[in-house]
Amino acid sequence: MSKLLVVDDEANIRLLYSEELADEGYEVVTAANIAEATEKLQLNSFDLAVLDIKLKNESGIELLQQLVKERHDMPVILCSAFSCYKDDFSAWLADGYVVKSGDLTELKHEIARVLAKKAQKVKAGL
Amino acid sequence: MDWECCWDRDVIAMGDCPNIHEGDEDLLTSKRRRILEKCSECDNFRRDLGRFSDSSHPLAPVFYLVHSEYQRQKTQIQSLVSFLDNKTLEIRFMHELGFVLQSSVDLEEVLSVALTAITAGKGFGMNRAFLLLADREAGMLKGYLAIGPRNLEEASHTWNEILGNDMDLKTLAMNFRKNKLSSERAKFHDILEQLTVPLSSHEHITIKALDSKHPMLIEDAFHHPEVNPNFAALLGVDTFLLMPLISRNRRVGLIIADNCITHRRITDEDMHSLETFSFPVAFAMERASLYDKLQIELNRVTEAGKKLKEQQELIVRMENMALVGRITSSIAHSVRNPLMIIGGFARSMLKNTPSSDPKRDFIESIVAETHQLEGVLDEILNYSDSLYPARDFWDVGQLVESALRDTSEVLMSRGYASGYSSENDLPPVYIDFKQISYCLRTVLQSDINGMGDDRTIAVRSYRDENAVVIRIEDRSRNVTQAELDHILVPFSETRDLGAGLGLALCKTMLEKQGIPFVALAVAEAGIIYTIKLPTYKEEQQ
Repeated sequence: MSKLLVVDDEANIRLLYSEELADEGYEVVTAANIAEATEKLQLNSFDLAVLDIKLKNESGIELLQQLVKERHDMPVILCSAFSCYKDDFSAWLADGYVVKSGDLTELKHEIARVLAKKAQKVKAGL
Repeated sequence: MDWECCWDRDVIAMGDCPNIHEGDEDLLTSKRRRILEKCSECDNFRRDLGRFSDSSHPLAPVFYLVHSEYQRQKTQIQSLVSFLDNKTLEIRFMHELGFVLQSSVDLEEVLSVALTAITAGKGFGMNRAFLLLADREAGMLKGYLAIGPRNLEEASHTWNEILGNDMDLKTLAMNFRKNKLSSERAKFHDILEQLTVPLSSHEHITIKALDSKHPMLIEDAFHHPEVNPNFAALLGVDTFLLMPLISRNRRVGLIIADNCITHRRITDEDMHSLETFSFPVAFAMERASLYDKLQIELNRVTEAGKKLKEQQELIVRMENMALVGRITSSIAHSVRNPLMIIGGFARSMLKNTPSSDPKRDFIESIVAETHQLEGVLDEILNYSDSLYPARDFWDVGQLVESALRDTSEVLMSRGYASGYSSENDLPPVYIDFKQISYCLRTVLQSDINGMGDDRTIAVRSYRDENAVVIRIEDRSRNVTQAELDHILVPFSETRDLGAGLGLALCKTMLEKQGIPFVALAVAEAGIIYTIKLPTYKEEQQ
């Protein structure tokens, strides 16, 4: 079972992700901010992280940069209310980008695609 | 005593006095005027006077003395009148010259007036004049302009032409500037080039004249100790005048004038007149030169002002962009998150609600409405993006191929086949890539009702004058032109026609950027969209 870290400052969104992604067969751990995410990253090993960009007064892009540096083997998907970050160079570090929607189909597809890609890489010994 | 002269007669007839001619008829009856104006010059009267002197009359020597003195004074007065006439002419000329010079701030015009004044018959009547200008930055006295004939033939032709057209100084100068300035400059080009001297060459006769700030008359130039023989040979005359042009104690330039054709002597009077003339000319030249510099500075200031205005507009625009960005950000965060939560949980509930449950319809309604609201939100956010397009030159092939790639999954899921063909060597188009790409994706994915059997979308790009046209043929659709036009009206109710919401936004976005967008419903052939993208920036048009 793949273990996912979901970081979003909205409690209801964390709950929605937990429910929906658990239904898809993932183990989901959530965090409301960067400090909490960092703490959970130290305690757990994750297969993928789903990050919101606007985290109250913090930026998910900062956390993305930190993860790319420290956990380069863990893919990251940005899931934001803003489509404009798609054109932001700093967001290109992520493995996927999804605009938030009540229909989580796209997010689920993206998670499956990125995890499959990671698995292929592992298999190829990269 | 019998007198030879008619001085003793009150009235005489024509022919009685050898000095009275046609036009002098009034003197025939005016004895007093006749004596004063004619007798003193008359040989008959002189002889009568001689006989009177011999007559031993005591008044005879006195009368002789008085007559001699009268003649001397008359000659002197005539000379003074002549002098005054000349001065009057000179003052009139200087007045005309001053008026012309004062009213001009164009250096070429001032120089044309100056050189015309020196050489014109009604001016100083010199045969030839060279003008040298002091270039303080380069440290050189440079030959700039010359006027005058090369030989007697040319001189005769020019002078006859001037005599034939009685023109004032201003007209003469204007005529010279218009018709002869270039040819005279070309004619004297070689000499003017060689007349150029460094301002530091204080031994050179031209610089000496300039340093002295007074005119110098050079005679016997070929043997003059201070004149370089090459300089004399260059001018080809042995007598010439060097007239420095000084304005506010600064060396503006030098005029070299000569009478190379007539060889008329240059008098002290000529020198004095030319020196008087040189002051307003030098002043006018400096003023014109300063005006030129002022004009250049003014142009610079105007240009700087224009740039400043552009910068100000840019700042206002950026502030507007930032404001729109903040509003967009606020809407995105405040509206999308709750919508996502409502829609997400509704979907979640729907999954676990059996079809027999009467609440399922309500949940489905929530899902559908949140989906619709998310679509509207996307449109609003895309519209706010379109307010400030970021344009650049892009390749059309890259644009179309990326839009087809992005929509391939959706099109395939609907059973569509798409194809793209392009004319060779299309120029780049000047567009906001993100926005046009959004429009192409929207057109390709537009879910308009009335799907037919031929599920083909053909995209073609070709050149059309200063634009590249992208033509999209969606053969599957079957709508009327009226229905299609309705879909293209922003915020109109289109639900009955399908989810073609984005098309109205595309049309608005494109038209705001001056990009023509046409959607044509063709019976049995579907819908043909054409987007005409410019290949130039607006300012290049």
